[in-house]
Amino acid sequence: MAEESSSPSVLLQFAPFQSAVDDGFWRRLSSLKLDTLGIDQSPIPITGFYAPCSNPQVSNYLTLLAESLPPEAGKEASVRGTLSLGNRNRCPVPGILYNTNTLESYRAIDKRSLLKAEAKKIWEEINSGKAEEDSAVLSRFLLISFADLKKWSFHYWFAFPALVLDPPATLVNLQPATQCFTLAEAESLSAACNKWRSSSLTADVPFFLVSIASDSNVAIRPLRDWAVCQGDGQKLLFGFYDPCNLPNNPGWPLRNFLALICARWNMEKVCFLCYREKHGFADLGLSLVGEALISVPQGRKDPQYVPNAVGWELNIEKKMVSRRISLAQSMDPTRLAISAA
Amino acid sequence: MVLSQKLHEAFKGAVERVTGPRTVSAFKEKGVLSVSEFILAGDNLVSKCPTWSWESGEPSKRKSYLPPGKQYLITRNVPCLRRAASIEEEYEAAGGEVLLEDEDNDGWLATHGNPKETKSSDEENLPSMENLEISKKNKTIQSISSYFGAGEEEEDIPDMEEYEEPDNLIETDAATLQSNYLVAQEPDDDNILRTRTYDVSITYDQYFQTPRVWLTGYDESRMLLQPELVLEDVSQDHARKTVTIEDHPHLSGKHASVHPCRHSAVMKKIIDVLMSRGVEPEVDKYLFLFLKFQSLIEMKCGNVQQWLLMCLLSLL
Repeated sequence: MAEESSSPSVLLQFAPFQSAVDDGFWRRLSSLKLDTLGIDQSPIPITGFYAPCSNPQVSNYLTLLAESLPPEAGKEASVRGTLSLGNRNRCPVPGILYNTNTLESYRAIDKRSLLKAEAKKIWEEINSGKAEEDSAVLSRFLLISFADLKKWSFHYWFAFPALVLDPPATLVNLQPATQCFTLAEAESLSAACNKWRSSSLTADVPFFLVSIASDSNVAIRPLRDWAVCQGDGQKLLFGFYDPCNLPNNPGWPLRNFLALICARWNMEKVCFLCYREKHGFADLGLSLVGEALISVPQGRKDPQYVPNAVGWELNIEKKMVSRRISLAQSMDPTRLAISAA
Repeated sequence: MVLSQKLHEAFKGAVERVTGPRTVSAFKEKGVLSVSEFILAGDNLVSKCPTWSWESGEPSKRKSYLPPGKQYLITRNVPCLRRAASIEEEYEAAGGEVLLEDEDNDGWLATHGNPKETKSSDEENLPSMENLEISKKNKTIQSISSYFGAGEEEEDIPDMEEYEEPDNLIETDAATLQSNYLVAQEPDDDNILRTRTYDVSITYDQYFQTPRVWLTGYDESRMLLQPELVLEDVSQDHARKTVTIEDHPHLSGKHASVHPCRHSAVMKKIIDVLMSRGVEPEVDKYLFLFLKFQSLIEMKCGNVQQWLLMCLLSLL
């Protein structure tokens, strides 16, 4: 790995986010559709959840649960709001659901425009400074679906919009975090990360700054503190909760983070920390530290400029196709009656 | 569902409605947990193994005797790299020992052979169920292509013609990693294996007054597994006997669960052994012991002595 990454012309490649939908989500969507929405096709704000990778063998997913959908009117709003707050295993990510009434309209969705629209939101939130206050918006996602309630079957497709850097970022160096710090720094970094992850105020904040003082003391700070961290001789890393487990690639959330770093802070050389865990605690062997070169995108001067975006999810065979799940076996009353008999 | 199982569920439901949850501690005497002890033990599990968290589940299924935000415990996305069937083959080949089920034979604790050299994930001090795979010593990994290949006939697998992309959506982006990122990698093995993952949840069973473990399986593309397929990952001695498929008390749908009818008896035995060795068991450690014992059922983790040793260690 060292040989490969020491070459300065290596393109920085990101492992795509992967989706997972709990069947509780489809059940709630079905009842929402039947009881409340009717034929209304307006987009619905939803919340996905993710956490840093916590096992060297698998990536973490962006997961949708029953709670991802807005609460039914009047019910549970207060309880729900307080529950997901600060749950370290459920960092909320804002998303939007376009659920259509027919398969035809599902297929006719203009996916390119939708992705572009979401990317524009992200770009605007980066430039307005909102992303520094609420960093979760950097990982905004998009879900299109057709819920065939007669057959208990759900067609769906996720997109994780990523702003494309043009020219793309190149990698100077990428190593397990253990190899990039002194023992004292590593200990202080682990302690600081664990503290960040155990406080209910910060546990679900997926993007952060790591500042390492000359006395090896590490502090984790929110993005809005960027200006404060400047000019005092501290080493600064850009950290994010990395859902990916791979040893040679950072995960998807880094893409829009780099776009932010480039757009807001005009940096060309970026040190980043892909924060990963084991058994729920910081694991610097699994976490990566990388150094990337980014350059100001062409056309950046134009106020109308919005970077290109990619991000429609591929299936397990790497094909650009829609997914379908059938819950007939567990939802169809006729089948349930037969299996219960 | 089998008729007897259904009758039992109905009976259980009726008893639960009449009797109310346990409030008096009988942890040392009977191996059972009161509701407040369950919460205490759960809080301890969450703080020591933060991949576990409390959740509230479906509002309609909420149990009034538990706090709304602490209805059950869950840890998600636990990889299971091999089917239990293949672990068992290795286990038999290695001259496997008696299972915990043979506990009526009183000698089960007395034997004290050296723990096997197996580098097992259970040797780590916390039973966080980070990984349902138990042993890596043997490189023969059973292919699950039979399961995967059969996918074509399954209803969940879409018809290709249904998905022809009219607008021919193609994204070209050099910065997107194109390699096989979806598969798990076994670090010291060239074999690449597609991974099933599990959500493991622990609920409080009011009737048996013990925690109860539930397994929700996902296939290699994170699609829900039929609970019957979960049984492939459970020790065959336990599949369909101690592991049953039932409605989850806080989630929708049917899930595989380790039936709790003998939990308190086993926990009582563990507690007795600990006490006879001068270790005073603390109730907040209950779930750690409990998970050790559950992992033994689910994945048949080597030998009983080694397991007991670990239980002891985790209490010291």
